[in-house]
Amino acid sequence: MSVPEMTGAASSFTARAGRPPETFFKAQERNRHATWRMSALCVFAALLMGIPLTLVLSPFFYAVTMAAAEVVNHFSPLPPEFWKTSSDLARLAFRVADAVFNQRGTVNPQELVLAAALIFLPGIVVALMLWAGMLLLFRHGGVGGTLASLNAREPNPQDLKELQLADTVQEMAIAAGLPAPKVMLIDSPGANAAAIGTCATDAHIVLCRRLLDDLNREQLQALVGHLVASVGNGDLRIAFTVTSIFETCGLIVTLINAPFGRQSRSTLWRIIRYSFRRGTGAAKAADAEQVAELLADTLDMNSSDIDRFFNSSNPGLIRKALRLMFFPFLFTNIAVELTLWFFLNLLLGPCMALLWRTRRYLADAGAVELTRNPDALESALQSLSNDCATVAGGSWASHLFVVNPGGDRSLRGDSASTEQQRKFLQAWQTTASTGSPAIPANPLPSVPGTATELARVRQEMMSTAMSAAMGNADAAARLQVFAQAMGVDPALVHELPNINDLMLAQRGDRAAQARVRMHRQSRQRQESGAGRGQTGLQTVSFVSFHPPLAKRAKRLQKMGAHLIDPSRRRGGLAGKIVLAILYLILGPLLVTCGVLMLLVIVMMIGLNLLCLGLWLALIHWLFAVDWGSVIAGFTRFVQDVAAAFSRRR
Amino acid sequence: MSFSPVLIALAVVMVLVLWFAFHAYNRLVRMRNNVRNAWSDVDVQLTFRHDLVPNLVESVKGYMSHERQTLEAVTKARSAAMSAGADISTRAAAEMALGSAVGNLFLSAERYPDLKASQNFLLLQEQLTTTENRIAFARQHYNETVRQFNTLIAEFPWNLMAGQFGYAPEKMFAAGPQDRATVQMAS
Repeated sequence: MSVPEMTGAASSFTARAGRPPETFFKAQERNRHATWRMSALCVFAALLMGIPLTLVLSPFFYAVTMAAAEVVNHFSPLPPEFWKTSSDLARLAFRVADAVFNQRGTVNPQELVLAAALIFLPGIVVALMLWAGMLLLFRHGGVGGTLASLNAREPNPQDLKELQLADTVQEMAIAAGLPAPKVMLIDSPGANAAAIGTCATDAHIVLCRRLLDDLNREQLQALVGHLVASVGNGDLRIAFTVTSIFETCGLIVTLINAPFGRQSRSTLWRIIRYSFRRGTGAAKAADAEQVAELLADTLDMNSSDIDRFFNSSNPGLIRKALRLMFFPFLFTNIAVELTLWFFLNLLLGPCMALLWRTRRYLADAGAVELTRNPDALESALQSLSNDCATVAGGSWASHLFVVNPGGDRSLRGDSASTEQQRKFLQAWQTTASTGSPAIPANPLPSVPGTATELARVRQEMMSTAMSAAMGNADAAARLQVFAQAMGVDPALVHELPNINDLMLAQRGDRAAQARVRMHRQSRQRQESGAGRGQTGLQTVSFVSFHPPLAKRAKRLQKMGAHLIDPSRRRGGLAGKIVLAILYLILGPLLVTCGVLMLLVIVMMIGLNLLCLGLWLALIHWLFAVDWGSVIAGFTRFVQDVAAAFSRRR
Repeated sequence: MSFSPVLIALAVVMVLVLWFAFHAYNRLVRMRNNVRNAWSDVDVQLTFRHDLVPNLVESVKGYMSHERQTLEAVTKARSAAMSAGADISTRAAAEMALGSAVGNLFLSAERYPDLKASQNFLLLQEQLTTTENRIAFARQHYNETVRQFNTLIAEFPWNLMAGQFGYAPEKMFAAGPQDRATVQMAS
């Protein structure tokens, strides 16, 4: 007696011919270990980044303290012990620096430790405090803000497809033994999915509505399995930590910039206002989202207040005086921003991206464990690779999506066979009679040769699709006839709007109309040449947070997926040789650039120290000089001169 | 008053051993509770199917009057599953029989185009598909937890403890061949 099971869990793993080279348990274990390694690397990178940062910030901190002490001392004299201790410490620092850099004099280890503590402790303490503050601040932010900016809605239980999605999520949650996450849908033309939230209990799964039409139930299950496994593995907390570190860096830049610019001050003011806000409503969540985005923006080197402060043409007298007063801060600022930019982009960012990549592989293996169906996930990923994955409003959360929202074509289906192309052309030509003159006729001549013909037909199809999206019923009808002739969604044109949606929109379905409208808008944006660019966390690392889909497919194949022919290679030998030569040339160049950059950073640190020293000396001199006697002397001098003049007369 | 180093070392070792013992025991308890939880998940899903079946039979009866046998088989399998008792392997066999009976019903529904086309039937089919999937996934989760638990209580420090506190290996939710035979004869 056999047990027919309906879908999903049906394909039992051992029943497949041939054992996979790596079971999903092995794969998960391996990726967990990889995560540990990468987190250790991240900690190391953060420490490494901390060294130059504290070298900049500690002197700055001491200089500001001493300047404040001078001012206070002027009005109410500080105890002499304070001045004695600080001068002792300064002398110690000098001696240690002399011994370390010039190999002159001797220091005992105790002094060395004290000096190191003096330099590094303030930086470490301040950084940790800021980080803890960020963690506390955004812990209760919730997911409302992200959901709102994604324009997510709840699924409609009357819609069979959306009901199916809700069921699928429940099934996967049962398979993982987790509380079922909430499901939200986005009516976006893109095709992508994400798990968002701060912990497993408030996890939300967000899917583009389009996926429900593009994927079959098993593929959908695999995709949801990936997200649920990711939630179960605790990825949400990791993502939260990663973003909070970047936000802390943004906060440091904001704080440094605060005296100079309105923009930083308003960001800071928003953070303060947000942190004192009570309640956990949607408004607060939206606020958290905005604050996070503002902080992310400050990490961008282009939006610097300090340039505006020091470069504004035609400054007033006060501005001039302020500039004179704050001149050493310019170097502090540049040093901090340069250090952050350099180390975030080249060290910490890539480490975190690689850490996040191990989590993606882990979730893939988890999805295979839950569904026991590696093929489904593989084909789902391929389908996502074929589609445009951009999701409007998902910029800050871009690393949370299954597929890189910037697009990943590495697993794009092979260009169709000539047989398919012929069928495609024929199907389109036979539908020509369905159309009406209202469809814009394409002026391109019909040149023999399948490739050009194909391009022409695709262009024609695009314009038909656009007019259908505008509400042209004939065009929509033609597309539908074509889709029927091709069997399924035409695989050769991925940019077409969803034909089901088109038909529904013709019949007056509000949601479908919205989807078609969004598709049209995104098409227009693409055509007008607005580059998508990278968004969110992607900007702070030159390594993408998403592993290439081709690599993911390869790992799935190790676990037994076999839909995509593994022998398929991109490029080939010649391409590899070209790449190797390119790396050979570019590698040393990049290393040189990095070393030069480090030198610049070191120079900036030195300049910062020098300027701060000058500044302190200036302030000290200002307070040390007995201004009363100076003024008295000056007036006596003036009187003498006047007396001399009067005597001569 | 001063302690000798030996005494301090002994105390430290004692504390470590105790801490490890507590930790190990807690892990044992947690795993056992995981198994129970997983079982209750399976149970919930099975009960849900029991409740769904009469509904299903009722709604297809009108269309499928020729399939009296298939319908009766489903009803019988349901009552057999409901009275299968607490033993996991007999219950598993009975539930699998019910699952296959329901599957047969859907196979025969293929022959009735007007039934297949009705929106109600589509919804019902989705409901049944998800129920079957949920049962399968809950079973998968349960079996996985049982596997982990059984491995744990066979491993070194825990096997001593498990015997002491009366923790026996749990049964997987799967039917042995003799159970299948009995269920088949009964239906």
